[in-house]
Amino acid sequence: MRSIRVFLVASILAALTLFNFVAALQGYKSSLHEAEKLFDDQLLHTAKLIAKLPLDQDTDSLNHLSNFEYQVWHNNQLVSASSNTKNTIITDLFPGFGDANFNGYRWRTLVYYDPKNENWVIAAERSDLRFALAENVVIKAVLPIVLGIPMIGLLIWLIVSRGLKPLNDLSQQLKDKQVHDLTPIETPALKRELEQVVHSINALIGRVGGALEREKRFTTDAAHELRTPISALKIQLHNLRDELAVDSEPFLQLQSGVDRMQHLVEQLLSLYRSSPSEFSNLFNRINLYMLAQDVIADQHDVFENKHQNLSLEGTDCFILGDSFTLSTLLQNLLSNANKYTPEGGNVLVSIEETDSQVCLKVEDSGPGIAPEDYNKVFERFQRLSNNPEVAAVQGCGLGLTIVSHIAELHHANISISASRFDSGTAFTVLFNKAFKTDAQPMQTDVN
Amino acid sequence: MFLNSVVLILQEILEAALLISVLLAFTRLRDVGHRWIVAAIIIGCLGAFLYALNMAQISEWFDYVGQEVTNAFIQLSIMLLLSIFAARHLGRPDHQPSQGHNREFILCMLFIVSLALTREVSEIFIYIGGAITDPSNVQPTLIGAGIGAGIGISAGVLIYYSLLGLPSKWIALTGLLLLSLVAGNMASQATLLLTQADWLPYSRILWDSSELLPENSVLGHLLYALIGYEATPSLYQGLGYVIGMLLILIGTKFTVWLNNAAPKS
Repeated sequence: MRSIRVFLVASILAALTLFNFVAALQGYKSSLHEAEKLFDDQLLHTAKLIAKLPLDQDTDSLNHLSNFEYQVWHNNQLVSASSNTKNTIITDLFPGFGDANFNGYRWRTLVYYDPKNENWVIAAERSDLRFALAENVVIKAVLPIVLGIPMIGLLIWLIVSRGLKPLNDLSQQLKDKQVHDLTPIETPALKRELEQVVHSINALIGRVGGALEREKRFTTDAAHELRTPISALKIQLHNLRDELAVDSEPFLQLQSGVDRMQHLVEQLLSLYRSSPSEFSNLFNRINLYMLAQDVIADQHDVFENKHQNLSLEGTDCFILGDSFTLSTLLQNLLSNANKYTPEGGNVLVSIEETDSQVCLKVEDSGPGIAPEDYNKVFERFQRLSNNPEVAAVQGCGLGLTIVSHIAELHHANISISASRFDSGTAFTVLFNKAFKTDAQPMQTDVN
Repeated sequence: MFLNSVVLILQEILEAALLISVLLAFTRLRDVGHRWIVAAIIIGCLGAFLYALNMAQISEWFDYVGQEVTNAFIQLSIMLLLSIFAARHLGRPDHQPSQGHNREFILCMLFIVSLALTREVSEIFIYIGGAITDPSNVQPTLIGAGIGAGIGISAGVLIYYSLLGLPSKWIALTGLLLLSLVAGNMASQATLLLTQADWLPYSRILWDSSELLPENSVLGHLLYALIGYEATPSLYQGLGYVIGMLLILIGTKFTVWLNNAAPKS
């Protein structure tokens, strides 16, 4: 079953309907039987009454009844009868109830012998009218059962919904929980049936929180510990190069390897430096355009070395955020664009604002990313190596994870699409705007 | 009139409810969504309306046995469709079906339910349409129809959830057995209709259980609707029933055998 509510309502209502309707049918049959007995009793009383009447008594009043006929026989002679039965005997003169056909109908008959006057009274009622009358009465009793089913269904729906409310509330509470919120679930009036569920979830949250904390501490400590020896190693390499004046391929590869290791350690540190607990909520009002100008100026040489055209366009746009992490975000996006854009390619940074958002976009003219890989690029240590150009680029696969992490800390939304160039990728980060500005758009060519 | 309405509508609805609940359980097993049933009910009811509307003309076909022959043709079509459905889709419960396979699965069920509803609901339309021409019959007929439909639908819902309550393997097995009973019932009814139309000769009575379980008893009516119980079935009816059941069971078994015999990639 997909929905507990639908299952409960449908199965309870089905069971109730089934048993109610079968009971109604049983009631119908019993009631009809009782009605038959009642009509028979009434017929007997009428027959006795006719038997007591003097034979010359006027019985015109009985002739008006369309569903009733009678005959009185004495010594095999018809001595009295209703108007429609004056010619033939209705049924044989055997005492008791029976059925007979005459005048085009089926009749319920009673033969009654009056020993005092030695008269045989035959009383008859039309069976179809008796049945219709009885059925009419019984159906009026059955009708509320049929009409009541939709009301019962509605009532069951409301009761089941009320009963499932604590479960829905718990579900909503879990749904509303932020990704990094590892605080236990608190429900003021916990239902007994849900106690174990909530306790288990809270225990699980506790274990996950502990594991995450240990993982974070391990990575941060390891990165910290590695930083110093790597720095020492770099100095030693530098000194060695000066002393021995070596510039061989193995030496250059060694230097490149150490650089890559240092980069990895720095990225790991910045990933955890920007975790929510350390980050706090003390955001400043930041001009994203100015910040982008500063970052681009810092990275200018890197782009210059590859003869890439780096442009910035946009307006002064203000957001609430942390300048250090936002710089890291843009540095990583630019570093990414620089790495994957071929020499002489284009990289464009644009900053625009809409009514409620500020859009930071970094576009390049690199080989681009296949749409089916968009979701993978933010995963840790994920490098899309299908493309030989991409595979040749050195990196640790953490840069875009950090970008995504920082965007998340700023409640920003990050997405990937094709760039405006013939090929390449566009990374778009949508921030919530701090407040409106009236700055005019401007275009700055940095390179 | 009331009791007649209950019995007739209950029989028709229960037959359809059994078929629909089993197919819905298979739908849940395959996890292909339940939307097809809405389409099948709409198509089936529209078909039933048109069929009932033109029943006077249809009855005149084939020397005034058109209704019997057409109904028999519908019953046999349902039985054949059920056999194809079982052979193609129920023989390989562990098989991961493709999208095209799932589409065929849904279309097959849509056809089966639409055809079944066309026949069953048309009977209801014809009965109610005839009964309520006398104003005094309107109330008992409609209340009886409501009770009959209520019991039939409720039984269908309970069968569906009971099937879903079973372990997956048993759902498939029980569902298959129920489908084979439905197919046997269809074939038996078709044989009876063709005998009534003089398209098949009368054959000897296989047994007479009217003393033990009369057809007009409550249980008799229920069993007739569910498994096509007859107190005095003819030889051809019995044969039809067995062939209908075997077509489902052997067809499924044959697919399993084919699947096992196929070289593994």
